[in-house]
Amino acid sequence: MRLFRQFILRQLMQERLRSAATILGIALGIAVIIAIQLTNASSLRGFATALETISGKTSLEIVGAGLGLDEMKLAGLGWLREYGQVSPVIEGDARAQVGSAAESLKVLGVDILRDRSLRDYRLMEYADRKREPSPTEFLYLLSDPHSIILTEKFARRYDLKVGSQITLTIGDKNESFTIRGLLRDEGPARTLDGSFALMDIAAAQWAFNRLGRLDRADIRLRDDANIDEAERQIAERLRQSGVEGLAVQRPARRGQQVEKMLAAFHFNLTALSYIALLVGLFLIYNTVSISVITRREEIGTLRALGATRRRILALFLAEAALLSLIGCTLGLLLGRLLAYGAVKLTATTVNALYIAMAAAVPALSLRHFILAFAVGLPLALLAALMPAIEATRVQPMTAMRGADRLESRFRLRRRYLIAPALLFMLAWWLAQRGPVAGLPLSGYAAAVAIVFGAAFLVPAVFYFFTRLSRRPLAFLFKVEGRLANSNLAGAIPRISISVAALAVSLAMMVAIAVMVGSFRETVIYWVSQTLKADLYLRPASRSNVTTEAVLSPEVVRAVTTHPQVAAVDAFRNFDVPYAGGLVTLGVGEFSVLLEYGNLMFKAPSDWRSVMREMIGRDEVVASESFAIRYQKKPGDTVNIPTPQGEHSFRIAGIYYDYSSDRGILVMQRATFERYFGPQPPTSLTIYLKPQADADAVRQEILNALGDRYRVFIYTNAALRNEVLRIFDSTFAITWALEVIAIFVAIAGVASTLLTLILERRRELAMLRLIGADRGQVRRMVVIEAAMLGGISQGIGLVVGLLLSLVLVYVINVQSFGWTIQFHLPVLFLLQSSALILIATALSGIWPARRASQLYVAEQIAEE
Amino acid sequence: MSVLVVEEVRKSYHGETVVEAVRGVSFTLEAGDFVALMGPSGCGKSTLLHLCGAMDRPTSGNLTIAGIAPATLSDDELTRLRREKIGFVFQFFNLLPTLTVQENIALPLLLAGRAATEADRWAQVMAERVGLSARLNHYPQQLSGGEMQRAAIARAIIHSPALLIADEPTGNLDSDNGTRILQLLANLNRELRVTILMATHDARIAASARRLIRMRDGLIESIEEPATRPHEGTRKFSSKSS
Repeated sequence: MRLFRQFILRQLMQERLRSAATILGIALGIAVIIAIQLTNASSLRGFATALETISGKTSLEIVGAGLGLDEMKLAGLGWLREYGQVSPVIEGDARAQVGSAAESLKVLGVDILRDRSLRDYRLMEYADRKREPSPTEFLYLLSDPHSIILTEKFARRYDLKVGSQITLTIGDKNESFTIRGLLRDEGPARTLDGSFALMDIAAAQWAFNRLGRLDRADIRLRDDANIDEAERQIAERLRQSGVEGLAVQRPARRGQQVEKMLAAFHFNLTALSYIALLVGLFLIYNTVSISVITRREEIGTLRALGATRRRILALFLAEAALLSLIGCTLGLLLGRLLAYGAVKLTATTVNALYIAMAAAVPALSLRHFILAFAVGLPLALLAALMPAIEATRVQPMTAMRGADRLESRFRLRRRYLIAPALLFMLAWWLAQRGPVAGLPLSGYAAAVAIVFGAAFLVPAVFYFFTRLSRRPLAFLFKVEGRLANSNLAGAIPRISISVAALAVSLAMMVAIAVMVGSFRETVIYWVSQTLKADLYLRPASRSNVTTEAVLSPEVVRAVTTHPQVAAVDAFRNFDVPYAGGLVTLGVGEFSVLLEYGNLMFKAPSDWRSVMREMIGRDEVVASESFAIRYQKKPGDTVNIPTPQGEHSFRIAGIYYDYSSDRGILVMQRATFERYFGPQPPTSLTIYLKPQADADAVRQEILNALGDRYRVFIYTNAALRNEVLRIFDSTFAITWALEVIAIFVAIAGVASTLLTLILERRRELAMLRLIGADRGQVRRMVVIEAAMLGGISQGIGLVVGLLLSLVLVYVINVQSFGWTIQFHLPVLFLLQSSALILIATALSGIWPARRASQLYVAEQIAEE
Repeated sequence: MSVLVVEEVRKSYHGETVVEAVRGVSFTLEAGDFVALMGPSGCGKSTLLHLCGAMDRPTSGNLTIAGIAPATLSDDELTRLRREKIGFVFQFFNLLPTLTVQENIALPLLLAGRAATEADRWAQVMAERVGLSARLNHYPQQLSGGEMQRAAIARAIIHSPALLIADEPTGNLDSDNGTRILQLLANLNRELRVTILMATHDARIAASARRLIRMRDGLIESIEEPATRPHEGTRKFSSKSS
């Protein structure tokens, strides 16, 4: 301990800049992992806590097939009361407009008399402010269909009072409500940071356009009931009762469905987050290397004075452990900060494609602490092991005499070529495997094999590069070029690890650039092929695909009766449970699509005849992501729960769809109505007459609807832009993670160069002595830095292209079920290559300064 | 013209205490001189050698190398002075391990901005002069100690320096190789009139020089004149000391 303090701690304190850089590197690596964990948790937790708090004491619920259940059906299930309290529920989302601010509100519509046994509602103030209202008084509060109860938190946020009015956009309608009470911050009121509203069930049915319908019925079992047993019995009796299309499940089930839906998205983010850590570990390797290299004589002295090899090993491992502990601790805090940014970056995607989530970052829990240290500490020790073992090999005498030099010429051994070849073959084999549990594990394994293959190939690449670049460098940069080339050629074993680290992060960048670029091109093409309509209309309150917000008949009428409108495809979509998850069921008017629109079919190729024949039949078309995720092909059948019981539909064709990876099934309207009855649409696709002015028609429809209704109408061009905006925001987090990884890697190159310089300080002093001026030494080091960057980027480009093939053709298909057309973003790759070259050359400036400032006489005098 | 003029030169280091390593030293080297600087460890001979090699500036006193006073020079000017006027040979050879023998020898010319072809041609000439023609494409690790030191000497004289500084040039060699190196230095001194200032703590090695400066405690203890030196036949090259 004393030796550690004297030998390691003092040195770390003296080399503050280097110690700080290392700690920062580890901290960043850990921070990125923690941030992604928190971000993923926040999107799930937002949903899970909302689910939990709203569920209250509900132990089981009766649900219908996607569209909820018919009120009349529930009336026939009086026997449910034998099991406990039953409370019918309407749950929906509304947009609250307060002044210039708008916020999403979770609205719960209940029968307050029955519901109070399931959920606690405590009002902030009632009448004389001392007493809770009686159930009847509570009921009276909500008797008017324009009554609403908000939460204390929400009211405080917007300075709202009991008795004041608030306008909510529900579906496409603006409705004004009177605030009748404020809930204390407990129970369901804590949902989504207080963005919760309570209504009477009848008022909610009316407001949400769900007359005669319930979303579900919550059941609070008797205290002595066994949940498993009750669930089994209820399921059995539901079957026997002859009422079709109802199921009993636990509230948590909905959470699992959402979790499953987000699994692939979260998995990919997590995988990406580990890259930054990987790179951070190279910094540990470098720091411990530097500390061993610069102190060979001292280590020799310690050995001569009787320190055992084991003690030397322990000293340097302890150094790594200390740096890592500080780095992990900082990383945890930094991770929480980064999570705010990451949540912002992912919120758009999650909201647009999956679920409405509260963009709140969860607090750090014990789990995160354990994760940070369990990942950071062992890996740091592993990274430090090689240099620490090198330290134990220092011979007491040779170190003292200062003649103990490292081998300065590199021999290319066969294993440097065989190991990469084997790894690349393994990658090829892995890339052919299928997904594991719906996750692209073998795809990622293939990517890891490529990465390690590339890392092992670095010494060989370096060897050949330095041989080939000797003359060109000498020609271009004279003696500095010659020296830089021979310096690097002699240091191949030392620099290979840092170059591999940088090359790997650059390869990831290239791979992601190619993947995103390909994806973007594919989406642009898909959009240009399939978005044929002139206008698209949807309710203003609809913030994401799962929110069920429907259009009023008045709105549909205003559109269909407009003189310039040629045809309207009223589209309806909602979620149905399928194979443990949720898929989207869409309903469209095929005749309009056939006449005006376009779809891109994967199979069979002649989509028009397929769709023409589908009309009236029990058939669906499936999106590609559905087909890949559930391994379906045309001719297979899918079982979909309907209000008339589960029914099987034949898949007539597979079409390309990049709007969602959740899997979509589309039915012809007539078929749909046979099973689900008539339903209001959720969006309208509007085709105008030739020569009609889309912008003018859009404005006219909006004017006709007036203040009563709130809808968004996109022109074709605006919708295309919107699609790309969502697309780009989806990948913003990817880029952010990548930038961090590259930043850390470049720091790694700088610290490697510094290692080399400290290792060669006598040689550098010698160079200065025989006539190299400071400028020449500086230029030499900067050329070395640029060479490191250039080689890294070169390897990164090649490996990145290999990785992009894995991403595009394996991982992406297995995670999301999308076929992407390969596209090379040449301009981006050229620009980024130039940028990397400049950045690494600049990173050489600090080591170059150190090198040129070595005090000549001092170094030579050490002899 | 005197190659090296040292007048009342002092050098002190300011750390926590002030250490005066050289405390007022005077002597002169004329062109063609071969002078040994001898004394025990810590006598200040290394510091004096650094001063004479323009690696460092004196704290006070006059010191000129080929007529130039390093005291007034910037770091880059000092570098230029070393590059053009001085050659160095060290105990540990200090060859760059990543360069071949030829590249090592050619380095001073390349650093001075001479064309690569010219530098390589001169390196071959120098290698031949020190007997290393067969080893041009070898790396330092592939050479014996004596060969490494010969390569270092070739590198030290390739740019025809006015002064060759040698710090314990045989300190890391066996006696056979040591003798050969001393002979090589003596030959270079005689045939090419290279002026040599050589530090050593070994009296037998000092004997190969034609003049001997003994140092103790930062001061010159004695300067032994040619009359007392064994190489009587080479007296004609000797010069006066100040």
